Amino acid sequence: MRDLLQEIWESLRRNKMRTCLTGLAVAWGIFMLIVLLGAGNGLLNAFLNDGDSFASNTMMVGGGVTSKPYDGLKQGRRIRITDKDIDILRQPRFADKVDLVSTSLSRSGYTMTYGRRYFNNVSLNGTLPGDVEMNRVQMLAGRFINDRDIAEKRKVIIITHLHAKNFLSGDTDYDKLLGQRVKVGNLSFTIVGVRHAEENRDDRSLYVPYTAVKAIFGLGDEVDDITFSFHGLTTEAESDAFENQVRTAFATAHRAAPDDRRAIWVWNRFSQNLQMEKAKGILITALWIIGLFTLVSGVVGVSNIMLITVKERTHEFGIRKALGARPGSILKLIVTESILITAFFGYIGMLLGMVACRILDATVGQSKVEMFGQSIKMLDNPTVGIGTALGATIVLIIAGTLAGIFPASQAARVKPIEALRAE
Amino acid sequence: MLIELKGVHKTYDNGQPLHVLKGIDLSIEKGEFVSIMGASGSGKSTLLNILGILDNYDEGEYHLAGKLIKNLTEREGATYRNQMIGFVFQSFNLIGFKTAVENVELPLFYQGVNRHRRHEAAMAYLEKMGLTDWASHYPNEMSGGQKQRVAIARALITHPEIILADEPTGALDSKTSVEVMELLTRLNREDGVTIIVVTHESGVANCADKIVHIKDGLIEKIEDNRQHHSSVFGTTTIMK
Repeated sequence: MRDLLQEIWESLRRNKMRTCLTGLAVAWGIFMLIVLLGAGNGLLNAFLNDGDSFASNTMMVGGGVTSKPYDGLKQGRRIRITDKDIDILRQPRFADKVDLVSTSLSRSGYTMTYGRRYFNNVSLNGTLPGDVEMNRVQMLAGRFINDRDIAEKRKVIIITHLHAKNFLSGDTDYDKLLGQRVKVGNLSFTIVGVRHAEENRDDRSLYVPYTAVKAIFGLGDEVDDITFSFHGLTTEAESDAFENQVRTAFATAHRAAPDDRRAIWVWNRFSQNLQMEKAKGILITALWIIGLFTLVSGVVGVSNIMLITVKERTHEFGIRKALGARPGSILKLIVTESILITAFFGYIGMLLGMVACRILDATVGQSKVEMFGQSIKMLDNPTVGIGTALGATIVLIIAGTLAGIFPASQAARVKPIEALRAE
Repeated sequence: MLIELKGVHKTYDNGQPLHVLKGIDLSIEKGEFVSIMGASGSGKSTLLNILGILDNYDEGEYHLAGKLIKNLTEREGATYRNQMIGFVFQSFNLIGFKTAVENVELPLFYQGVNRHRRHEAAMAYLEKMGLTDWASHYPNEMSGGQKQRVAIARALITHPEIILADEPTGALDSKTSVEVMELLTRLNREDGVTIIVVTHESGVANCADKIVHIKDGLIEKIEDNRQHHSSVFGTTTIMK
């Protein structure tokens, strides 16, 4: 191995300029690949960051307005989803798939007061304990709503860390607030938990027990929506079929056409997530393809230069063969040289690409744009992982081999008789 | 018999067939010093290529050290060349980016000999050629005679059955030519190395004990030259 490397080093040393220029093309190719993938990741991270804000194996069901007459009732009728509808999901045909069920009932437009501090226009979100899992609520202190809160209709509240910080004048020791009382409207609630809220999203609702909201405001059994989680579905087709079953069941219960998508709307986060994953995969694949095509020009360059080198060294290979070099040893020499050039310059390109990604992260990655009333990051963590680096390494070795194989076979085919030909 | 050729024919086919060797029968014994002489186009280079396993032939048989050399694969050819034949070329054919000692080591490298033993053997042969001080010099820093001596060291390092020298003095001046031929003669006399020199210079051919004259693809005559009276220019000079 050491002999092989020494031979290659001697050969490269003689053609420094040429080798470097060729290597530049390879470095550029890998640089582009890494930057493209990094930027692509950043873009995806920025746009899909609410992807983790709820569990993907959930569906949300709500009532709408019928779009066609059915069962003797005319169209345009409003469907009211009630807490009785939760029982539909407990029917035997759904029971083996459905796990948690939650519902929400919100009321907004209140002012929350804590001592001399207050927030205007807050909304109370009456919910069930299952919500903590389905909406991925991150508790920073205390607890979420529990079954006793629901049963006893307790007036407890979970505030966000943004509220909590304000109440504590910037302090983040949220435990101090637990057990304290806040006023919402003219009602008094006990703080039992502090949750994390995404700063760049409009997510400020205060969680309270569903039963408490219902009782306080003297509401009937109508709810905003019902959310449930499920298991045992893998494909989009299965998920869509299940979604239709759920819609049909709700529609039947409310005397609406089973296929009336406007009467009962279902937000199938599972299918949506699968589609999102698919789109993500397509985007990443497209970026790889673009990057690889950029790399192709580098590979062709290496191949070209190797061909010239082989041509120049024809006489030398003839001598080597006359002295007993086997075709395989010459093949190995050229292919290894090609791989080394490609890998060496490829790694330089990769390194620079990663530096560029960091720079991107430090500049564009920190800037935000206002969109739909929310501030969104242009790029979020636009870097590539170790997996991409490994992938690129494999690509480089394959590229180097491909670039070298043709020139190498030319070299291996040199006849030993070439040694006798005077230079 | 070290070398035995029987009815060797060779035809080149570049557009129109060219019958170069028309039935060569030649036997050379171990320890002989033979020169092959002939004008250009006589077929002596083709004969050398066949003897050196650099080229194949169409008809007949060639035995080298008891092995039939015919229809070899590239690998076999390479192995036989490496183990049985030492080449000395007209233009030295040293590899320019390798030092003298690295050039001498090369045949052992292809035998898979480890670096340390390779280096020791190469240094021993360079010493024998009086080139110890030049071991780490590159070919372009050496004179023609020195380069050819490096090439001879390279040819000898594998202890080959034969040394094949193709116009070994073709690129040297007359004084150096004499030195190189004296060196080859000494190797033959003292170490019993079998040497075949292909040349068109009668002075060079005269160093050998046996001169094979080739003409039009056939052996014209085999001259016994143990008296070394063959050269028309005298026995101790090489006319350039």
